[in-house]
Amino acid sequence: MASREMELATLPAGSDLPRSRLVALLGRLIGPFRRGAPPQSRPATGFYTDTTVCIGCKACEVACKQWNQLPSDGLHWTGNSYDNTAELSATSWRHVKFIEQFPENASHVAPPSGQRISLEVVPNSVPPQGRWLMMSDVCKHCVAAPCQQACPTGALIHNEFDNVYIQPDICNGCSYCVAACPFGVITRADFDGHAHKCTLCYDRQKDGLVPACAKACPTESIQFGPIDELRERARKRVDELHRLGMTGAYLYGDAPTDTYSELHSFYILVDHPSVYGLPEKPFNQWLTMKGDYVRAVVGGAAAIAVLLVLFLLGGH
Amino acid sequence: MNGYAGRTVTKAPDWHGLVAWDLLFNNLTTGLFLVAAMGELAAPEVFASVARIAYPIALVFLIADLILLVLDLGDPWRFHHMLRVFKPGSPMSLGTWCLTVYSLPLTVATALSLFPEADSTFDWLRKTTLVLGLLPALGSAAYKGVLLSTTAQPGWKDARWMGGYLTNSALLLGCAVLLTLAVIMGQASAAATLRTALALLLVFNGLTLALLAANLRPALSRLFNRGQLWRVGLLTIIGGFLAPLSLVLAGDRPVFILAAVILVLSGSTLVRFVIVKIPHGSP
Repeated sequence: MASREMELATLPAGSDLPRSRLVALLGRLIGPFRRGAPPQSRPATGFYTDTTVCIGCKACEVACKQWNQLPSDGLHWTGNSYDNTAELSATSWRHVKFIEQFPENASHVAPPSGQRISLEVVPNSVPPQGRWLMMSDVCKHCVAAPCQQACPTGALIHNEFDNVYIQPDICNGCSYCVAACPFGVITRADFDGHAHKCTLCYDRQKDGLVPACAKACPTESIQFGPIDELRERARKRVDELHRLGMTGAYLYGDAPTDTYSELHSFYILVDHPSVYGLPEKPFNQWLTMKGDYVRAVVGGAAAIAVLLVLFLLGGH
Repeated sequence: MNGYAGRTVTKAPDWHGLVAWDLLFNNLTTGLFLVAAMGELAAPEVFASVARIAYPIALVFLIADLILLVLDLGDPWRFHHMLRVFKPGSPMSLGTWCLTVYSLPLTVATALSLFPEADSTFDWLRKTTLVLGLLPALGSAAYKGVLLSTTAQPGWKDARWMGGYLTNSALLLGCAVLLTLAVIMGQASAAATLRTALALLLVFNGLTLALLAANLRPALSRLFNRGQLWRVGLLTIIGGFLAPLSLVLAGDRPVFILAAVILVLSGSTLVRFVIVKIPHGSP
């Protein structure tokens, strides 16, 4: 794969032809309404994140920023373990979360030298000496994505890989997607006023490359591939973890629920979703939309009925 | 031990004062048009003259609302991207198209109002225009609440009556403004009917507000402490409901009616600012 990247890097860069102001203005006005031929559909891809092997190295965060040329957020000490990224944002499309589960009265003395800790078995519950949980968070690329359903400009689409993608030349920063996302992923940027989030390295995928974060992950906590393969791999991993005694391990988002679609970025977790900053039971608000419209019309119709009766009576 | 538990997962959108004013102006323009058009169509001899003044005012409210909507975009120069697609499943897209369609009959009705000579010639055009404007005006009023309640934001996502309240409120506000015009223009017959209508609509609006408040109670408890909640509640109930209702019922003196209308407008504005603030008050 590395040689493929080097090969692509040697290709000449494209250039824009100089345009007059009028042409640029017309392009700005008409361009968004033009439609190209949609790309041919490809097998759905996604991420599977095995949090049990995440070591919190943040290589994914760095690789994402580097590849996507995302600016630094500055360094702000949050006081929350090693998490100084704090949240997913327009400039941080990966966010490694740190959860320290240590008893209040635990002694912080290292185990005697020579005592080996098995890396094969992760305890099912919080062990007496405590444990770390780490997770690299990212856009969930929902199959029925509220952000995409909300978007009034058509900027948010499911691309040919069935990933949720924001077309940067179309988004006008209305922020409805920000409000609609139940995972708090999308953010409107201060620098251009547009919404931004993980693209699942759309550009790399088109060139047959693995997303930068998955490529950089040293423990294969982040895995990328066709979604069906990933699900199968993840289920086998959960079985393996159960066999090793970690019966609390489960998959989050691999299958649809009655209130939410499956995610194309799903996780193996070992504690409640809320512990990782994920909603316990994601809910797609579009399920309530019809009823909300009915109540809106009822609210208006009641007033209209009153007015019509009075107007007709008052007019005669 | 609990990691990120207890934190709000969602991100609050950058919607602040502009959106609160947008909610108000949207409801003012659509409500005023609906009430004036229904009045003129149902009883033209009573409402025609006051309605002719109402349409240009509704257009001014609409222009103010559209300016607010554009300014609130992250990239206002891309406002026309809203018309790239028609997505009925997106309340914002549906609302944009409703507002666009609604602006056409409203503009025609305004133009005909401004040229009374042409108006008498094109009476059929005026009536057709008003009828054609009713549905998009109602759609423009109805989408706002649904837009907010289909988000994942704390409070808003539980507000099943957001749309019911705002649509009802649009007609209340429209009635209040039209009543003001009738009083100023000395249209006694129109003012008498609208005064009764305002009293009844206040009761209806109080009911939808109570339903909305019940939906929003947990969110409001996070936003305000107990004392603040009582003060905001009392201010809304007394200032925005009981006091204007009493003034409207007290008599037809213009000063009472104008005071009632000012209170209705103030109470409605306060409610809209509280609604917009809700997601920003979560832990």
